[in-house]
Amino acid sequence: MNIQNVTHLVHAYKIAPWRVNRQLVGTALLAVVALAMVATLYLDVTSQAAIAGREIQDLTASITINQQVSGDLQTQLATLTSASVMKQRALELGFRPMESGQAEYLVVAGYSVIEPEILSSVPLPQLSALSIPPEYNESLLDWVDERISSSSRGMQ
Amino acid sequence: MRQQYARRTQALTFAMGLAALAIIVQMTRIQNSVEAATFRQQASNYAYELRTFYPERGEIYDRNGHLLAGNKSVFEIGVDLKNAKDPEAIAAAVSVELGVDYAQVLDVIQNPPEGLSYVVVADYVEAQKAIHLQELKKKVQEHAPEGMLGELTGLEFKSHPQRSYPENSLASNIIGFLNRQGLGYFGIEEKYDTLLAGNPVQVLIPTDPNKAFEIPRVPDGTTLVLTINRDLQAAAEQILDEALVTYEAQSGTIVVMDPRNGELLAMAVTPRMDLNQFWNYDVIYHNATEYNPAVSMPYEPGSVVKILTMAAALDSGAVVPNTTYLDTGSILVGGATIQNWNQEPWGVQDMIGCLQHSLNVCMATLSTQMGAGTFYSYMNNFGLGHLTGVDLAGESAGRLKIPGDSDWYPVDLGTNAFGQGVSATPIQIMMAASSIANKGRIVTPHALYAMVRDGRQYDVPAQFAGTPISEQTAQTLSEMLAISLESEGSLALVPGYRVAGKTGTAQIPVDGFYDNTQTNASFIGWGPVDAPQFMIYVWLERPVTSIWGSETAAPVFAQIAEQTVILLDIPPDNIRQQLVAK
Repeated sequence: MNIQNVTHLVHAYKIAPWRVNRQLVGTALLAVVALAMVATLYLDVTSQAAIAGREIQDLTASITINQQVSGDLQTQLATLTSASVMKQRALELGFRPMESGQAEYLVVAGYSVIEPEILSSVPLPQLSALSIPPEYNESLLDWVDERISSSSRGMQ
Repeated sequence: MRQQYARRTQALTFAMGLAALAIIVQMTRIQNSVEAATFRQQASNYAYELRTFYPERGEIYDRNGHLLAGNKSVFEIGVDLKNAKDPEAIAAAVSVELGVDYAQVLDVIQNPPEGLSYVVVADYVEAQKAIHLQELKKKVQEHAPEGMLGELTGLEFKSHPQRSYPENSLASNIIGFLNRQGLGYFGIEEKYDTLLAGNPVQVLIPTDPNKAFEIPRVPDGTTLVLTINRDLQAAAEQILDEALVTYEAQSGTIVVMDPRNGELLAMAVTPRMDLNQFWNYDVIYHNATEYNPAVSMPYEPGSVVKILTMAAALDSGAVVPNTTYLDTGSILVGGATIQNWNQEPWGVQDMIGCLQHSLNVCMATLSTQMGAGTFYSYMNNFGLGHLTGVDLAGESAGRLKIPGDSDWYPVDLGTNAFGQGVSATPIQIMMAASSIANKGRIVTPHALYAMVRDGRQYDVPAQFAGTPISEQTAQTLSEMLAISLESEGSLALVPGYRVAGKTGTAQIPVDGFYDNTQTNASFIGWGPVDAPQFMIYVWLERPVTSIWGSETAAPVFAQIAEQTVILLDIPPDNIRQQLVAK
């Protein structure tokens, strides 16, 4: 086989129609794969954001329910320790109301009368004080848009 | 041949391209059409849902942290008509568990109002009963044949908060109540309704499940701490109830206040209402003034007003404690004869005797001696005829006629001096008398000790409403009143404690004439005299066993005063003075 024949074969291979088609198909497939990857990423991020959002809603709902339960228990406790119930319990236990002449008063050094300070002044955590970061509720497109906007602002 | 295929292919490609182009054009046209804008608008209407977040109503505590009004969860039980498969089973379960009428429930489910897909069969169901019913539904579902949902499918449960009053009827007149529409009525619930309710927040919530939304900040309603001492309130109510039985009185009121700062420590009235059954209001009360007579029901207080007349006379310099006068048993004022309570002359009396024997003639003498201008100026400064500003709903200002009013007559100058022809509420008399117990300064009575919001407590400062008399006058009059009680051996005296006070027996006008057999018996007193820490007002309406305040209201004062010194840890005078000396 001489050189001329080899060159001819290589040329024939290069210009073969099936080879050109495969390149086109390959390019198209590459584009499809890229799109699929982007779509998959998009779906993954948005689904994660949705799940996280729902989890937050569930947790806040749980907090609300717990607060309701706490309120119920507090009310039950107050009912169980109401003035009439406590008096009845005291009488059943053999106690009797004290009369003014029976009280004895002592000087206790350092003792001060208890003031009716029933609640602390420490701020309580608030159910509604949650702040959801944007990562949890923005879509991939929102994120890209934000990036572009921030970079264009940076360039200006 | 090959060329022919190529042409066909080109034609097909062109046709398909044309079709694709037509589709794109049509899509673009639709997207930008007028109808599209309408649809987009409609879609945007459903994209967000306006939801209102209601804050939890603030709680109400007594001064020692006992819960007086809180919140609890109750359930609305309804039926989803689309999913309800067995109305008979649902009606049976609901009627058995909740005690409601089976036929009624079945009728509601089978014949719902047109257009409804959900009907309520019971509301405000206690959590325990609702949970029991929920468990029953769950069990029925578990035992249902495979692929079936169970007979109780469609039964729905929705929890919501309800006001709860753990002390039931205790201090019902002070607390008031919240109705099912969320409106506060009477007392603290009405006066501070806006504060307790908090501010609802409206938020647009995206309906797209992929969009998480931020829970809005909804601060709870303000929690209130009252000046009321729960145990003293309970004691006052018990003593009052017993007094009504003992003296066969129609109704009564006992108010305990700290005269130094106006804090109301107890306010017992009759009748009272179980606040957890506020729907009985119409059964218990005939009109709104009966709910809390201490602030809402003016009456002719009678001789308790004499302490104000004497205060005015002393402060204006008209008399001193030793000033004497000859009591002839009657005096002519404005053309009318005023007599003493026993229609008898009492001879020569000084001002202490005047108070001790509660002489109407003496008081009419003092008021006429001062003159209408001075007398009514003092009464006005004491607050008679004005609202006290107490922070309880439904306060009444009473009535003090003054010269110039169309219904004022000269005789009123005499009768007003001993508490007839003038109307006032117990809280008004207490406010006026607080000047005598508090070195001449009037305190504004109040029931709110502190507010708690966002975890921070804001104390309510005492408020003063003027100084109608001097400190000297106040101390002198307190001493005179204490001596007058001790001299007569009053039933109001409290062993170990020196108290000052005055009885009142006012005839009740019936059909325009005073009825000698029907009286309002009252007593106002405070102690310890040298450093007052409590002021007590007792009012018994129409006592039968005795019409006199000295025989009915005075001993009730002693009873409640004894409980007060125990519950407020006030040692007897001699021990307290020893402790102070140390």
